[in-house]
Amino acid sequence: MDPRDLESLNSLLEQDVGVSENIKEQVKEFDKRIRTIVGILGKIHSTPSHSMPELLDSVDPVLHSCSEITLAIADVIPPDQFWRWKDMWSNSMRSAVYAAALIQYLRNGTLLSLPRASEILGINGEWKDRFSLPVEDYLHGLISMVNELSRYVINAVTLGQFEEPVRISNFVKEIFSGFTMLNLKNDSLRRRFDSLKYDLKKIEEVVYDVSLRKLVPANPPVQ
Amino acid sequence: MAKDSVLDVFEQFREEIDDGNDRRERLIKASRDVTNISKKSIFLLHRLVLEDSSDDQALAARAASSGRQKLSEANTIFKNMREELIGDRFWRYQRQVSPGVQEYIEALSFAHYVEHHSLISYQQVQNALSDSDGLFFPLAVSDYLLGLSDLTGELMRFAISNISRRGGRLKASEVCAFVRECKSDFERFTPHIRDLSKKQYVTANSLEKIEAAAYAIAVRGSEYDLPPEKWDDLVAQVTTRFDLNDRREHEDGYNGNV
Repeated sequence: MDPRDLESLNSLLEQDVGVSENIKEQVKEFDKRIRTIVGILGKIHSTPSHSMPELLDSVDPVLHSCSEITLAIADVIPPDQFWRWKDMWSNSMRSAVYAAALIQYLRNGTLLSLPRASEILGINGEWKDRFSLPVEDYLHGLISMVNELSRYVINAVTLGQFEEPVRISNFVKEIFSGFTMLNLKNDSLRRRFDSLKYDLKKIEEVVYDVSLRKLVPANPPVQ
Repeated sequence: MAKDSVLDVFEQFREEIDDGNDRRERLIKASRDVTNISKKSIFLLHRLVLEDSSDDQALAARAASSGRQKLSEANTIFKNMREELIGDRFWRYQRQVSPGVQEYIEALSFAHYVEHHSLISYQQVQNALSDSDGLFFPLAVSDYLLGLSDLTGELMRFAISNISRRGGRLKASEVCAFVRECKSDFERFTPHIRDLSKKQYVTANSLEKIEAAAYAIAVRGSEYDLPPEKWDDLVAQVTTRFDLNDRREHEDGYNGNV
């Protein structure tokens, strides 16, 4: 090969190495923060509802600080190369969406939208060829949230919050019916979606248990 | 998110996901078509360079131009891919496109070698992947190098099938030197590119085969004063043995050694 060509190829590859090392650095920090967040959120299982807002508020600063990370990553990605590098952080991203969605549900009982999730994580719409939140990652985050809620439902009942199962059941069913509208190909998202029905069943059983024992006020049947 | 809008939102997701999946499928198919055309172009070249001719240079030029002509069918496909790979889409679907691109580079670089006895440059390949409106899509350095790495296998076949022809031994030693140089040039890139070290291993094998063939001929040639037709028999015998070796390695599946 011509020495000049050899050199120019080499410098192209060195640039890529630079990008990848920069991202690695950021992802490490991202993961650290995510672990902190997930750690705090682990306490929801033993937190009575009156102390819940306080617990959730304590996560906010860390969650918002993740926007520093997304900004730093977006800065080093060359134009149009988002998809080339995104696998490096998509796990962290999914966990961040999971945390944000769980917090929103516990706070307001509503589903976190994708644009809102991007906003919380400081993702700027103008970056879209360099950094964005793909639908798939958002959906992965939602599934993690449902997984967690199926565990939370049990512990909420233990803490005496008997109205929680019905609320969660309705919420999760809605997400589930959303997922059934998608044509997923045979990938990890599809497999995780397939496992959602077990979460659904687990939640239904809790609903059954509490209504059988008349622990919930005899409301009209669940919609 | 309001209650009934959840389903609306998922409907949008469905559209987005379907769109991506459909595009992926189209690109996989296009990439396969390109692979097919490229393979045919390579076979065509192998056949054409063995034709009888008194003028080697003219034969090589004719073969290369026929190979390139066959390859131009792939260019039509690439041209249609332009829209599908615009902007950030290129890297999104790069994995689907790259098998075809690599095979195309293998064929293109083979034609280039047959004609010019040199390695096609990154820029030349990128130029081939464009028209008057600009690039069809950017050329990934990894595709370029991996495609070239496959070229060495073709050159091995080229050298060995040529070895029994007049002037074939000289040609084989040229190819041998060239492949050796490729191998050493690529070595420094292996840490950066996945799968390149695996291909380097295959290149090393091809190189050994050409070296062994050249060696066998040199050694036996010095012992006996063979008439030309005996030479051809001897060479034919040696080359069949290489084919057997080939098959054994495939059965072993290269595992463990990579």
